Amino acid sequence: MKRRDFIQGGGALLAAAPLMNFGAGRPLGKKMLVLGFDGMDPGIVNRLMKQGQLPNMQRLGEQGTFTMMRSTIPPQSPVAWGTFISGADPGVHGIFDFIHRDPETYIPMFSQSATLPSRWLVKLGQYQIPLKPGKVVLKRESPAFWDYLEKHDIPATLVKLPTNYPPSASGQRTLSGMGTPDILGGYGVYSLFTSDEQESQSELSAANIYYAYIDENHVMEGQIEGPNNDLLKEAEPVVVPFKVYVDNRHRTARIDIQGKEILIAEKEYSDWVEIDFTLISGLASITGMVKFYLMEMGERFRLYISPTHISPREPAVPISTPAGYSRELADRVGLFHTIGLPADTKALSNGTFSMENYITQSLSVFAESCRMLDYELQRFSGQKEGLLFFYFSSLDQGQHMFWALNDKEHPYYHPEESRKFGFITDEMYRKFDRVLGKALKSIDPGIPVLAMSDHGFGPFRREVNINNWLAQEGYLKLTSGQAADEVSLIEYADWPASKAYAMGLNGLYLNLKGREREGCVAPGDKRALLEKIKAGLEAIVDPKNGQKVISCAYISEDNFSKDFIDRAPDIILGFDRGYRISDNSALGTLSPEMIMDNLGWWSGDHCVDPKKVPASFIANFKIQNPVPNMQDVAPTILKYFGIATPAPMTGKALI
Amino acid sequence: MSSKVKLSKEAGQKADEIIAFHGYSSLDELVEDLINKEYDKIKSGDNKEELANKLSGLGYIS
Repeated sequence: MKRRDFIQGGGALLAAAPLMNFGAGRPLGKKMLVLGFDGMDPGIVNRLMKQGQLPNMQRLGEQGTFTMMRSTIPPQSPVAWGTFISGADPGVHGIFDFIHRDPETYIPMFSQSATLPSRWLVKLGQYQIPLKPGKVVLKRESPAFWDYLEKHDIPATLVKLPTNYPPSASGQRTLSGMGTPDILGGYGVYSLFTSDEQESQSELSAANIYYAYIDENHVMEGQIEGPNNDLLKEAEPVVVPFKVYVDNRHRTARIDIQGKEILIAEKEYSDWVEIDFTLISGLASITGMVKFYLMEMGERFRLYISPTHISPREPAVPISTPAGYSRELADRVGLFHTIGLPADTKALSNGTFSMENYITQSLSVFAESCRMLDYELQRFSGQKEGLLFFYFSSLDQGQHMFWALNDKEHPYYHPEESRKFGFITDEMYRKFDRVLGKALKSIDPGIPVLAMSDHGFGPFRREVNINNWLAQEGYLKLTSGQAADEVSLIEYADWPASKAYAMGLNGLYLNLKGREREGCVAPGDKRALLEKIKAGLEAIVDPKNGQKVISCAYISEDNFSKDFIDRAPDIILGFDRGYRISDNSALGTLSPEMIMDNLGWWSGDHCVDPKKVPASFIANFKIQNPVPNMQDVAPTILKYFGIATPAPMTGKALI
Repeated sequence: MSSKVKLSKEAGQKADEIIAFHGYSSLDELVEDLINKEYDKIKSGDNKEELANKLSGLGYIS
């Protein structure tokens, strides 16, 4: 079956055979295992299954169900996993994109959490001491499904859970995943010390690049930049110095940092190194952790330092419930990545990593997750009842970076790289099949098991700046400057004359009177304008090839519950296969051209029309709906444990 | 600049409510806090680059 037939086939249930109909005649309660494989594409699974390459997924599906599952509008991970958690559409949980915007300032912002600074400060010398600490708040609304399990005394463990940073208050064991920031509050900024002068002068996003000066004693001095010391009246970053003793003869180096000595050989990663960022000597500090990667020695010296992760042993901000759970995991399996998206895709996009470097790092993240799963499976085996959910990010991050390796139509297709690394995507799927196989072996065969994803995948060949289109159509006006100058809306938009703007990966907002600071669209004109813009968007054609760019522009008020719809974009952009929003457009900036080739390793994506990237649902039990929806999973879990679907949930139990 | 601010009766009553609700110690503290917040909003355009850098760690944005 071709991919298109598979997807357009309405989600045919692919497996039949022995039933495990736990909805009938089976005692409710007991145990359930859910594995979240972010980005697992049902089309790729189907192809590999037919080739006999995914025996464990195939067996699971044959026992019950293998089908595609409807993702959310838009099919972005924070949105879809938010729906998984709440059993409800995004209108109920309030997350509509990785990036929302502040209608007061038109500035893009994180959608999943917000940091509220302390307002209560006492000034003491050079310091200002907060009497009440500032706090980070989770912006996902509506209760999580494990709250209902807790009310019924059913234990649950949820590891690396997306859209749950900071973790919502719970008596269950939860560790936050995607959305968890680095110690600087971003999604991960790495450092590179390089003796290549030209490289050291490059300005790269999400990276600090430094020139590595190695003196006559073969010593290089550097520093790791930590968080801002907000306790100072004039806040400045806390820095931790380190020295590298370079031994080119033995291709090794010794790194001295805060009294620790770390020995690494060329092309090797160090273990995690915990670092204390001192705010007030002897009184206040924040612990982070990094890995050093000695990429090159000899003629050219290159030392990569990972983004500074929150330490699970001494988390500066909450990352688990109970608070000690992250420490328990670290004690049992060793320190682990805590940033929500742990593989450093930026280092590959920026050219700091080669494809080989990236694959090495990605596999190390994967192996670390496997160790954590092993520990939890062992614990789960000893439990009498409960739920275990475990999330993996590697398949999603990998497909973003590997897509062009197997896509000859992609403008970034490199035959040589493809020949060397083209196998990697299928190999990742095989690895996840083995993860499933190992999990199945470690638990009672009667336990319901679900392996699921939040969305599938597709090519990202052409990037589209919707703000350019809005400007071209007269919906967006500039005070000065031109699109070609890559001007930012924040500085150059003529807001009182602008009717719409794009922000985020799938969002288009009207400049609505009473909502936006300088809104000019009267609420009474909203519907007609939305329909006009929708028709215009769906008529956009790529001049390069005549293809349609947007297959569906979803009007939010027609698709979401009303609870938190005020946070939603007014239109969700459903890009057609091959297209995605441009980086500039996502941050509210114009581009030299409206549609351009995507010339980077970030070559696969899913921020498109959800119909183009359905999620995967593979389980050893039968379901009643041939094409389930992401919001149906939580009610299904609750029903299995004998709990009726609670009111805030909009999904329906599948059993 | 004069530090005296003349408020209408209605605005004064609202200010009293805000002071009681949020626990400000005085009208001066409230006004100073509001000015700082507004100033931050104006200046936040300058932080766009820093914000883009933070968001770009996502990978979705280069």
